[in-house]
Amino acid sequence: MSLLAVNTVDRLDRPSAYYVSKNKRRRFNDREEEEQQQEKPDDKLKDATTLYVGNLSFYTTEEQIHELFAKCGEIKRLVMGLDRFNKTPCGFCFVEYYTHQDALDCLKYIGGTKLDERIIRTDLDPGFEEGRQFGRGKSGGQVRDEYREEYDPGRGGYGRAYDEQRQREEDEYGAGR
Amino acid sequence: MAENDRRNHSYRGGRKRRYRDDDDFDRRPQRRRYEEPLFVQVRRQLLTIAESAARRAEDDVQGIAKTVTDNYDDEEIRRDFVNISLDLVLEQPMKIPFIAGTVLVAHSLKPELGSEVLSKAAEALQKYIDMGAWREVKLLIRFLGILQPVYEGDGIFPLLEELFARAVDLQTASSEDLLGLELVKIIQFTIPYVMLSPASGFEGQASALLEKTDIIASTPHALVDLVNSFSAEENQEAAGQSVISLMQTQLQSEANQGWELKCLPRPWKDARDAETDEPKSFESVVKVPFPAITVPNPVPNGERPLFPEVYLSVYANQEVDTVPAITDISSSLIRDALVDTINLLDFNRVATAKFLIDIDCYFTPTTFVKRATPFDRMRELIGEVQPWKPEDVAVDAVFSQLFQLPASEHKLVYYHSVLTECCKIAPAAIAPSLGRAIRFLYNSLETMDLELSNRFLDWFAHHLSNFGFTWKWSEWADDLDLPAIDPRMAFIQGALDKEIRLSFAQRIKGTLPDPYPKLITPGKEKDTPDFKYSSEMAPYSKEGQELMQLIRKKASDEEIQPVITAIEDQAKSQGVDDPKIPSTDAFVTSLCFVGSKSLSHVLSCIERSKDRLLTIGAESERARCQIITSVMDYWVDQPGIAINIIDKLLNYTILTPLSVLEWALSESVAAGTILSKPHVFEMISATVGKVTNRMRQIVAARGQHGLYEPQLSVIDETLTRERAEMQALFKYIEDSIVSVAAGSNDEQMERGDGSGTQPEDAIIRQWGRRWLRVFRRKAAVEEAFISDSLANATPLGTQAPPVSQRDDAADGDLDIADADAQ
Repeated sequence: MSLLAVNTVDRLDRPSAYYVSKNKRRRFNDREEEEQQQEKPDDKLKDATTLYVGNLSFYTTEEQIHELFAKCGEIKRLVMGLDRFNKTPCGFCFVEYYTHQDALDCLKYIGGTKLDERIIRTDLDPGFEEGRQFGRGKSGGQVRDEYREEYDPGRGGYGRAYDEQRQREEDEYGAGR
Repeated sequence: MAENDRRNHSYRGGRKRRYRDDDDFDRRPQRRRYEEPLFVQVRRQLLTIAESAARRAEDDVQGIAKTVTDNYDDEEIRRDFVNISLDLVLEQPMKIPFIAGTVLVAHSLKPELGSEVLSKAAEALQKYIDMGAWREVKLLIRFLGILQPVYEGDGIFPLLEELFARAVDLQTASSEDLLGLELVKIIQFTIPYVMLSPASGFEGQASALLEKTDIIASTPHALVDLVNSFSAEENQEAAGQSVISLMQTQLQSEANQGWELKCLPRPWKDARDAETDEPKSFESVVKVPFPAITVPNPVPNGERPLFPEVYLSVYANQEVDTVPAITDISSSLIRDALVDTINLLDFNRVATAKFLIDIDCYFTPTTFVKRATPFDRMRELIGEVQPWKPEDVAVDAVFSQLFQLPASEHKLVYYHSVLTECCKIAPAAIAPSLGRAIRFLYNSLETMDLELSNRFLDWFAHHLSNFGFTWKWSEWADDLDLPAIDPRMAFIQGALDKEIRLSFAQRIKGTLPDPYPKLITPGKEKDTPDFKYSSEMAPYSKEGQELMQLIRKKASDEEIQPVITAIEDQAKSQGVDDPKIPSTDAFVTSLCFVGSKSLSHVLSCIERSKDRLLTIGAESERARCQIITSVMDYWVDQPGIAINIIDKLLNYTILTPLSVLEWALSESVAAGTILSKPHVFEMISATVGKVTNRMRQIVAARGQHGLYEPQLSVIDETLTRERAEMQALFKYIEDSIVSVAAGSNDEQMERGDGSGTQPEDAIIRQWGRRWLRVFRRKAAVEEAFISDSLANATPLGTQAPPVSQRDDAADGDLDIADADAQ
């Protein structure tokens, strides 16, 4: 019931830097449009009930996600992120709650904790639209899984782009011998 | 420039890598050097006051006071000082003595500044009193209480007396009153801080006030038993006292010891006078009148529903005391400060955890042993002046909130997350404390309130999921020989099931020492449970398989119906009572099997068959029960999935809440043994929760302002109908469980020799009593909520005011006038 204008410690229920900067960049490119819209980045999230959930293992099931996220309120809809080509889970999802408060609570209490033994990321989202369930990376998954130098067994091993390159080099080496 | 930065950073091999090759010439721009403006410095110092074990808090207090008074003319500094001080009082209560100390010193140097803080605090206090936000009121009064030496005359006491007078009025008006108790609590938790302050000569007034609060605080409230973590019936010894009755005794004994208050810091103590270098006397400061505060009569109640609070410690009765005894006022003072910190800072669990770990910074240095002192080392310290283990005191406070009845202030998962963060920050210190808390809770499983046992179960599994599912299971290995319905055995099985729900069976099996792996049966390891109709031996196996193929093909209703009819004909010819039962079983089991791949698969199967399922439910009560049976049977090894599906079927209104209760408490009650299953409790709680949530929404709609006829009557009708339904639901639970608790359930009577003296009979009756307690409480809480909310609702028959008078209506006066006219 606090009436404070500012809190004495940071709040964990703000949109992420990623979301804010994505909006800024867009506004930088469309200067003219910006003047017409005059929209603050948070406004679209004012009543948001959806969360983007990232850094999931490819093997984490809907049931597991449901089990954890239902601790913040009844889930209205759960959309698994899929590889554009294989239609297999590719490590993210959208969780939609019935209320904005449940979504905020989820940011505060669940974002940054573990699911299936991985620290997951949650971000407030303006709402799921058809098509957004697919990975936007070149090979069908998420972009971040294209270029990864570390081996991540929960997300398909090495980055796919590197994997390809490695495969090619190996093949060439073998052929040369 | 910002845009350039971003562009260069965005690709690997961008700016960074290029420069890495450029050894001798680094053009990276240097961060511009600049002096931090003074107001930023003050702000930071104030925000982090007392936070560092490396600095002395006393130095913080005097340093800030000096800077601010030296720069009194800097408006920005002045404004920041006043605002941030009050923000901290309201958000970080453990810092109140330090903030108040700073203001005390500042006032002695520059009384104008002191007055400015006072008037701003009084303004805030008035606002919170008018809102009925009693926690905030408590904190502001505590802050003002430490400033007692700066006031003329009796200072804060007249305000406390006035609050007490209101409490008396409320208590006299109704013995059920809770708001009066809240006011008494505020008085109780202010007095020690007034006595802590450098003001002297108020012992008499404090004692007089304490004598008055005694009658109210020591009379047990009827609701205390309802919200006790242990029911007196199950465990008289563990049933705790209410916070205010404990505090009353502690205050009286502290008064007898001359208000030693040994845990509370007095950071103003070694302040010295700048000129004489004598210890500063706060008696000689410029006195100001205590700000005028109006306490409305009657006092308003805020949004938070009030209930008595009971003191719970998960470290009670250890061989070595690691937390203050309940006879020691420190137990209440520290707990109160911690609990407020935890509940106020729910928006940043990392900060909360940090404060909990740093708890020793905010109390006197002799209060706690060094951080991370092992429990065994505490044993050696017995006999010396007994300091407490900071981790235990902190963890205890979190559990007290996780186990608050009837409901915690925030979602339970918040308290889970605070414990998780504490463990992340200081694993070596916190993990052993949690271990001992878990042992206490495990050993209390038989007698603890059942709702709390289930919160414990849920937290335990969730917590382990954050730490690789490691737990010393071996220490409970002997309990695996207990009967399945023993509370401890039910806990172990329930915890493993919950762990599996957050992970998967093989993984959990791998974390278990012998002989536990046998509890993870082969059935639990199957992603897709077997389809019973695959076996030729099963009745209706041919039709079952056919149905399943049709559902898989998304066949139309016309194609499905003949198979259903075939099953029913066959059943009829075999003399089955209700042929709908085998046909429903085949249909729902097939749905589950086809939808077993994932939740969304089963949901789309249900969606497509919605009409058929709705018809089944409408046609026959027993067939509706069969829907539940089929789901529960198919997923018998993974009950989490089963109850999730039941939950969705309720949303589709294919099932009614009552049918779920009937299934559990009558159809499948199995002589009461079903009550031992945690997932059944979870399912019933969720079902009842759906009904009460809906009820609350209707009540809120009924209670909103500016509602007139004819809408008023429409909503009221809905409310009356749904309220009756809710009451019927609670009555059903009551009636079915009363017989189990009394041992007079038919099936119970038929068990064994019918004497009711078999060892398991007693356990079953205990489950019955514990279930009853939970649902009786839920019923009482909901009824209280409804009547409280409707007390101020617009009465039926209120017509919209004529347009010309609309303006008057807006201030709410008209509603009251109308209410009187009724």
